[in-house]
Amino acid sequence: MKQIGRFYLIAVLMFLYTPILVMMAMGFNASPLYELPFTFSTRWYEALLGNRQLLTAGMNSIIIAVITSVVATTLGTMASVALSRRTFRGKNLLQVLLLPPIAIPWLITGTAMLIFFYWSGIGRGMHALLIGHVALAIPYVVLVVGTGFRTIRADLEEAAMSLGSTPIHAFFSVTLPLLYPSILGAALFAFAVSLDQFVISYFLATPGYTTLPVQIYSAIRKGFTPEINAISTLLLLGSMAAILIFARFAKPGDTSDKR
Amino acid sequence: MTNVKVKSVAKTYGAVPVLTDISTEFTEGSFTSLLGPSGSGKTTLLRIIAGFINPDQGAVLIGNNDVTHVPVWGRNIGMMFQSYALFPHMTIAQNVSFGLERRGIKGEAARKEVDRALEMVRLPGFGDRTPKQLSGGQQQRVALARAIVIKPSVLLLDEPLSALDRRLRQEMQVELLRIQRASGLTTIFVTHDQEEALTLSDKVAILDRGRIVQIGAPETVYEKPLTRFAAEFLGDSNFLTGKVEDGAVRLADGTVIHACERLPGNGADVTLAVRPEKMSVATGDTTDNRITARINTVIYAGPVLSYILETADGLPLKLFSQNRDGHVLREGQAVTLNWSREHTVAVAN
Amino acid sequence: MQNNQLTVASVRGLEGPRSRRQLPSWVATTALLMPTYGWLTLAVFLPLLTMLVFSFMSATPMGNAPIVFTLKQYRAFIDQPYLVRIGLTSLMIGFWTTLFCAVLGFLAAVALARSALGKAREVLLILILLPFWTNGLVRVFSWTMVLRENGFLDSILHMVAPDSGSIGFLYTRYAIVVGLVHGYLPYMILTCYIALVTIDDAIIEAAASLGARWWTILFRILVPMAAPGLISGAVLIFIPVIGSFMEPRILGGRVGVTMGTVIEDQFTQAFNWPLGASLSFTLLAVVLAIFATFSGVLRRGTTA
Repeated sequence: MKQIGRFYLIAVLMFLYTPILVMMAMGFNASPLYELPFTFSTRWYEALLGNRQLLTAGMNSIIIAVITSVVATTLGTMASVALSRRTFRGKNLLQVLLLPPIAIPWLITGTAMLIFFYWSGIGRGMHALLIGHVALAIPYVVLVVGTGFRTIRADLEEAAMSLGSTPIHAFFSVTLPLLYPSILGAALFAFAVSLDQFVISYFLATPGYTTLPVQIYSAIRKGFTPEINAISTLLLLGSMAAILIFARFAKPGDTSDKR
Repeated sequence: MTNVKVKSVAKTYGAVPVLTDISTEFTEGSFTSLLGPSGSGKTTLLRIIAGFINPDQGAVLIGNNDVTHVPVWGRNIGMMFQSYALFPHMTIAQNVSFGLERRGIKGEAARKEVDRALEMVRLPGFGDRTPKQLSGGQQQRVALARAIVIKPSVLLLDEPLSALDRRLRQEMQVELLRIQRASGLTTIFVTHDQEEALTLSDKVAILDRGRIVQIGAPETVYEKPLTRFAAEFLGDSNFLTGKVEDGAVRLADGTVIHACERLPGNGADVTLAVRPEKMSVATGDTTDNRITARINTVIYAGPVLSYILETADGLPLKLFSQNRDGHVLREGQAVTLNWSREHTVAVAN
Repeated sequence: MQNNQLTVASVRGLEGPRSRRQLPSWVATTALLMPTYGWLTLAVFLPLLTMLVFSFMSATPMGNAPIVFTLKQYRAFIDQPYLVRIGLTSLMIGFWTTLFCAVLGFLAAVALARSALGKAREVLLILILLPFWTNGLVRVFSWTMVLRENGFLDSILHMVAPDSGSIGFLYTRYAIVVGLVHGYLPYMILTCYIALVTIDDAIIEAAASLGARWWTILFRILVPMAAPGLISGAVLIFIPVIGSFMEPRILGGRVGVTMGTVIEDQFTQAFNWPLGASLSFTLLAVVLAIFATFSGVLRRGTTA
């Protein structure tokens, strides 16, 4: 039985990774029409260096992901402090209100943003993308940081206060250092959410200001060369790296005390 | 070292009263246990003294200063928590010097204090380790060192030993007592363990549903419980109910029981409490009280033998006797128990 | 007296305020929560509300044209019967995707929980979840490399049977389902796995000691106990799948017309925002109905 289980898992992994690996390999194939046999070449990566449109979109994606990560992590951590450590009425409702950005299909959220931003005069473009991306990332930050809070006993802050710390000093000297790995993990997570976001960006981007996924989508629909494979490979490796580092930081139990 | 006073303190959560009009004083240098079942309000009282909870009414005085509106961090208390609450990201030395730093003591002066405190809890040289490298008992000692190194006005202990296993716990009790005596700190100790309360305290306060039902020296509270709850919660008791008649109590079956002092007037209903170990199987005619019962169950518990008996009226009784000669009495046997009137206390229901 | 050894400590006293009244705690709580919920209001709640209003308009407001409110957008399903067919297509794609994910994912979770141990299990779990957090668009694009005529699938086939034709099935509904299963399978594995790891080995051993064979254990013990994981996985897959539009576009080509692509068209091609809004809200109603039906299971599933 165990053998069958292992074979099955390997089959699942092959299903998950084969297309990705094929796509990556094709970025190193010389033929512009994806013709086989495979001839190794780095020409598409070289071509990429000259493709201003893709590079600009890539740069935009990274800038937006960094800003989203910083803003969402700051706001989400603040909210998480209140939701994890304070008691007040309406807390359950506030927790439920974190779900729509995650649970409602992005198509709906994205088109709703498009309508509202157009109607209210906010318009589209970089600022609109930032508003949307931060909103999508915040709930994840609150969840990740909230999980971090759960590994930190509330009586640590009480102990600090009993020793003379004000609540603010107790938070910065005790809770924050212990929360640090979770916050860093949340920041990476927010970065990945923003970097991978396509649907929302698709509706909020302008012809003059796009992100990489939006640019890739229009290329796929209008005709493309293996340059797209090259840039997609870089994008995948980027978000995989962010997630792997996240997994390393947010490992539960690292910050909790022994009991 | 200061005395601590609590004046008419009350606390209600929603519609549930947790503490009802508590007034008591913890004298300078004394060790007082707050003993009660969960939900009795003992932890709430401790946290009100610490300043984590604001009372709805009443006042808390530490050393004659009204601190009712002073936040925790201004009260100069030392506190030990059930979970130790050591800061996991700091070394032992950093943990112990945390409170000193808050008081502006740094560098060499702080280091000396920390060394002295660690020596006091018998962990010299542990300063560079982290809490994770220490056993539960050792962590508890560090928590104690951290609480006393700041010379608190009062030491508050919230069931600090409950997470330790039995052996370690007894060891820590001795240690705690030694350090408390040496430092002379006014100490308030929350526990639900009656044995612990009796062993450690100068005074035991028994809490029941938000009230202190009795406070006094361990012997007094044990020997002369004021209420049925106190008699039952601290140790075991046999209860006999009857009516007062000519300075004694007549039970339903006619048996007359003599009690020590404090009996109400003739005809009043009264409950008497007798500790099971105060009773013994009658050998002569010498003692004040006697009652006949049948042995239902014999329990062998090592040094003590305990018996569960029942009178002809169906009144359940317990009897503890020292295990000197093994089992002498058998199940089913009818025996006469006798005991002295001094050990018979009238208790309020 | 030994206690004199400790007296240096309180010379300077505490720095903290001694008897200052604290700020009411709601001030701090509000200050902490305001930015997040303000942002969500601006970016999510107000837009949804505006979209609701738009869905009752007769046409996209342009220039000075008067705004007319109407229910006609919600009658679209009656007025334009092809929408019903497209809706059914979306539901069928959602059904098959969820079913494949459930069967494949549940078995993978069982294999993961029962065949792999310790470090290997951890690594496998990360490997399975890793694609889930990478760009969905790129993964869909990857499938075109595999499924197209003379793509990877055909190359493999031609290695075995050089003269056979093409088995590539890009631009069919099967391709859409394959792409979607690929996208959401890790989710199902995760939710089932979380439900399965909590099952005590002793339960399985007890069943085996009572003479249960593996299929009995699978269907009488593992499936019922993992049901919360299966259901939350199914809900959380079905919902985004019926709202998907780029997977049908890229993998379905001309046959890839779904609710998602129709809604997208209203915003990007037809410029009929009120119709897009009403279709979005119809979709949202389906989503909310599903959440409401399974909210109990979902809550237990997420806290497990």
